[in-house]
Amino acid sequence: MTDQVSVRDAVFAEVVALLTQVTGDEELLGFTITPATTFHEDLQLESVDLVGFAGDLGEHYGDRVNLAEYLSELDLDDVIALTVGQIADYVAGRIAGVRS
Amino acid sequence: MVQANGIRMHYQRIAPTGPGPDETMVFIHGMGTDSLASFHLTLAAPAAAVGASVLTYDLRGHGRSERPDTGYTLDIFVEDLAALLAELSITRPVHLVGNSFGGTIAFAFAQRFPDQVATITAIEAEPPTEHWAGKMDDILARAVEFLADEANYIWIREHFSAHQERLSRMAAQRVLSTSVPQEVTTGRLMTEQDIAELRCPVLILLGSEGYQADGLEHLSALLPDAELVVFEGQGHSVLVEQHRKVRALLLDWVAKHAVAVR
Repeated sequence: MTDQVSVRDAVFAEVVALLTQVTGDEELLGFTITPATTFHEDLQLESVDLVGFAGDLGEHYGDRVNLAEYLSELDLDDVIALTVGQIADYVAGRIAGVRS
Repeated sequence: MVQANGIRMHYQRIAPTGPGPDETMVFIHGMGTDSLASFHLTLAAPAAAVGASVLTYDLRGHGRSERPDTGYTLDIFVEDLAALLAELSITRPVHLVGNSFGGTIAFAFAQRFPDQVATITAIEAEPPTEHWAGKMDDILARAVEFLADEANYIWIREHFSAHQERLSRMAAQRVLSTSVPQEVTTGRLMTEQDIAELRCPVLILLGSEGYQADGLEHLSALLPDAELVVFEGQGHSVLVEQHRKVRALLLDWVAKHAVAVR
């Protein structure tokens, strides 16, 4: 259990690190990115940025992490409301799935 | 990014991730607030999963592609696609999938480069006829006028969402501030004869309440090899609101019209 929690925390930190390469660091953003931070509304990113970020994740984690595939199952409202925590959970799940 | 037809064009490619015929699918987004994301985040991954090589790109003036002040005739959009395919050394016939204005580009491209097109899937889109030009001019003129009034953004936020308001501001500041509204319908249009001569199979997906509800059935009857699917009660946002059905129809369509044998 503790391992799972620490994996999720570690992945969240990695996802934030990758994300701030797109958004600028948290000092520049003026707030701390939490799991509840939304991609569109809070970070003011566009869908086209999400495409770029999906590419960054794929490069970092390899083919096992395919954000475009994950998002293709969602409806538009869910994509608009997408949070950083959701992305981190997806990534953590993919890593765990590939490991087991 | 690639330099093509004199501008920087943003594109994304996805290699096949699953087994299936190695078809090349090129997705062309619509005008205004649209970018390659609307296809990249909906249909691109499922298409790659059934063996397709996928190309999505931002039209000039949109997304991350360059936005010159002028140079937005339909012919130029067609030449952009031809130049992009050449830059990427894509020489086999491709399956064009166009949403709204992107579908209009697909028809015009197929007329100019018939050997490069395997099939067209036109989602809420019609060929560039005189009828299309009149309608497009009207829609664009109304959009420019509507988005020039600050009060209308508040109306958009209250009746739709803050997200929609942001997209509308983006459209006004970006695409609609170029010469798109003046230029896009100028230049060559297709006649009924031209449409009847399009050789490639065409799949048309439209909403009964969409922009093409006023006569596309007539045009589809002219096309020598066309299938028409109408979503009853559906408006213009077929791709977004019916994405699961669109995906199923599209993947089935491409499998049926495969040009390559792996």
